[in-house]
Amino acid sequence: MARINFCGSAAHAVNRRGFLSTLATAGAAAFAADMTRVQALALPEVAQDLRRNQKRCILLWLAGGASQMETFDPKPGAVTGGPFQSIQTSTPGVRICELMPKMARRFKDTCIIRSLNTRNGDHGGGSRMMMRGRAGESNLDYPDLGAVLARELGQENSSVPDYVSFYFATEGRMFAPGTPGFLGARYGSMDLYTSQIPENMRRAGISDQDHQARNELRGLISGQFERGRLSDSIDSHRQAYQRMRGIMAHERLFDINREPQAIRDRYGPTLFGQQCLAARRLVEAGVPFVRVGRAWWDSHGQNFETHQEMVPELDHVMATLLDDLEQRGLLESTLVITLAEFGRTPNINSQLGRDHFASAWSSTLSGCGIRGGSVYGRTDETGNRVADGEVNAARLFATIYRALGINHQKNYYVGVRPVPLTDPGTEPIREVLA
Amino acid sequence: MHRSIPVFSALVLGSVLAWADEAAPLPPPNRPIEQAIDHHVDALLKADKVTPAPPADDATIIRRLTLDLVGRIPTTAETTAYLASTDPQKKAKLVERLMAAPGFVRHQATELNTVLQSDEPRRRGAQRTALREYLVRSLSDNRSWDKIFRDLLLPDETDDKMKGANEFLKTRVKDVNRLTIDVSTIFFGVNVSCAQCHDHPHVHDWKQDHFYGLKSFFARTIDNGGFLAERDFGVVKYIPNKGKEKEAPVMFLTGKTIAAPGLKEPTKDEKKAEQERLSTAKKAKKAPAPPRYSLRAKLVETALEPGQREFFARAIVNRLWHRHFGRGLVMPLDQMHSENAPSHPELLQWLARDLVEHGYDLRRVIRGIVLSNAYARGSRWEGDRQPADKYFAMAQVRPLTPMQMAVSMKLASMDQKALSGAAAEVEKRLEALEKSAEGLARHFPQPGDNFQVSVSEAMLFANNEALQKELLEGNERLPKRLLQEPDLMKRADLANRGVLCRPARAEEKQAIAAYLQERQDRPEAACQHVVWALLTSAEFRFNH
Repeated sequence: MARINFCGSAAHAVNRRGFLSTLATAGAAAFAADMTRVQALALPEVAQDLRRNQKRCILLWLAGGASQMETFDPKPGAVTGGPFQSIQTSTPGVRICELMPKMARRFKDTCIIRSLNTRNGDHGGGSRMMMRGRAGESNLDYPDLGAVLARELGQENSSVPDYVSFYFATEGRMFAPGTPGFLGARYGSMDLYTSQIPENMRRAGISDQDHQARNELRGLISGQFERGRLSDSIDSHRQAYQRMRGIMAHERLFDINREPQAIRDRYGPTLFGQQCLAARRLVEAGVPFVRVGRAWWDSHGQNFETHQEMVPELDHVMATLLDDLEQRGLLESTLVITLAEFGRTPNINSQLGRDHFASAWSSTLSGCGIRGGSVYGRTDETGNRVADGEVNAARLFATIYRALGINHQKNYYVGVRPVPLTDPGTEPIREVLA
Repeated sequence: MHRSIPVFSALVLGSVLAWADEAAPLPPPNRPIEQAIDHHVDALLKADKVTPAPPADDATIIRRLTLDLVGRIPTTAETTAYLASTDPQKKAKLVERLMAAPGFVRHQATELNTVLQSDEPRRRGAQRTALREYLVRSLSDNRSWDKIFRDLLLPDETDDKMKGANEFLKTRVKDVNRLTIDVSTIFFGVNVSCAQCHDHPHVHDWKQDHFYGLKSFFARTIDNGGFLAERDFGVVKYIPNKGKEKEAPVMFLTGKTIAAPGLKEPTKDEKKAEQERLSTAKKAKKAPAPPRYSLRAKLVETALEPGQREFFARAIVNRLWHRHFGRGLVMPLDQMHSENAPSHPELLQWLARDLVEHGYDLRRVIRGIVLSNAYARGSRWEGDRQPADKYFAMAQVRPLTPMQMAVSMKLASMDQKALSGAAAEVEKRLEALEKSAEGLARHFPQPGDNFQVSVSEAMLFANNEALQKELLEGNERLPKRLLQEPDLMKRADLANRGVLCRPARAEEKQAIAAYLQERQDRPEAACQHVVWALLTSAEFRFNH
């Protein structure tokens, strides 16, 4: 039961009942187990329902630190404001940077959080914190957002990967590689660094038949050893080789050439656009978490040229992605996040750049579980500090978890030590949640 | 805060230090370690009426010992000789041979280095660090654990022979909180990090003073132009979660406080003198002279004092036990406090006392562990209810470490003809093989408790072309060697002996021979498949 998360919307209540009754006839005894979904998936109609209802998340990771001033928290006219104007969004009174006209028009599904104060202006430390929702602790290796969602939203024996991460740029890549931490390698990321198709996805120099027969021989030899040896580690070994061929069979999910030309044109020819399209294909097939890394926003010099080039792309791709998800009925169950390791200083330096700044910056949440068309928190006139509704990393993560129907206070156990998903005492931002 | 300290001390004295007062007499100290181990482990089995698994067979034992002592699987020649030997002392002799081999030092250095590199990214390239080189040199001289501890916390950066020992501090000096937590978990077996923000919710032993007290020993340690330095002054202040900001006592984990000089504000002259000492060294690009009074030195001294050293001794004994049994006498390894009892309290006390009395000689402990009957049990449970892990009634299945895995894969997939010849020559080749396996090792994560194999690992082995070439193709590899054996059943047996270090069972021989038979049009590919299937079996992936 624990891993079945329904949207809770009226439309889906029907599906939920449908699901329950189908399952009742299929023998509800298995329902209590965590593996329910795997068994339920054998029934085509249930599988379809679940695919629609399963929650998932796409993280647009603006690596290097995009400027909040040139995106979601503009300060035109202020000494710190820079050259760009602000424009009205579809929500009266909410204005964003003029470089984002498309997002301004389709603001109805998005909530901007303008009051992040995360106190870590270091690329490495900031990245780790914003991927994990907490500061690190030595000797306790925390899982990141993708690993937690893979575990909470994914299926144990899934034949699709459950944590996919695109990050083609070399800048900043190693600041926050996918980290399953204490959840273990089962929830590790499938990293795409250089090719749109994951590494080792294709057979090399062996026929499909031999590839399968060889794996069966492996299973036969391995199975004899496994008898009489109860161990989760051995189980994970067997499962890894069992899942392997299923995942290979899903190579097409990464292949955007299978999309109609019209769709590909909508996302545009940029790498970021293509990877967001691949992300959409993946979540549509049931992958619970995809990160698309877009680098490198670290504009210590020429901040405005950098943003003039990069923000319109973000605007176009993000708006296209939200439209596409909506048209497919997936936006209700898909949370799209923009986040980075930090924002940028209101102060403009002598190189016309903005530097690292973690005291008052922005993130956006769109779609699943989010009160769209809204803004939470406020920075002061110059953008130097949070004036209202300060949010730290833990609170942002609690909000993300709740939007996805996950109890943010749930404990994992590391040995006997309980480790809650977010630091004790953290509450989600109710105003942001639908 | 203060009121709790006497309570804490009493608790600790009552639990951790119990062996000092000998309330329940321990077995005599002069007993061989392996006998003491079996005495205590068997006593608990008997008391709870648990029957242990039978001993593992010889092929399993030589594989287990070779992996644990020298970090690789045995060669086919080693296995064959061991299985053929009828010498009743063959196990003890094998242990002596392996522990005398240079590979023993290298493997122990790798293992300790992994413990000292407490985070994953740093571990990945750790085989080539100066710290590991220091460990190799130290362990070659059989340097004791207390001396290594001293070298790591008080490295002499002017001494070339100590090169690399400073890395433990250097990589942590910019984050004193992390340094404090790492020292407490690695060397003392306790994690005081919870007490950083609040008194520990469940463990009455750990108050905020324990974290900040331990931190005080490191708070004066700084990076001075690329060299480690320690100030003459400085005190740790913190805001307890109840009450106003306070100065932390300089306090060890047992509650012992140190009246150190330099806790008051320094005078102008004193400040100036310190400034001069540090800036002169910085300009000269040299390690600065030590402070008049080193708090770090005081920590080392205190941690090794009678009445204080139990944390230090128990922590390493528990860690070595965990490495060889897959589970510590106390679990987890960083929770060795009064409210988390060991499975075998007297045994832990006995081993810690033995370690102290024999000059912190880690070799001695390791030899004792691997010679015990408890270590030599089978890992398969044939009965209906598997006993709880804490009984050590059977061997745990332990995932191979990255280096064990990589070296063993290279060894298992080669034509071992190249390993015949004089022992010294073979040893040289094995060392070269280890070096060549470092790249492969980076693919694998360092296993922790609850280790899982990732699907990426399966896909790496199944589909990576370069790896396929490296392990399976070419004249020096096992598949080519198998082709020279015309009899398919014998070929199957040969493959098993090379990769799984044991003869093939009848049904395996048949299955493999049938697989080969069906692919007689592509015999070399078929041999590659067979070796692949053995290499990727759970039996290979784990030490069992």
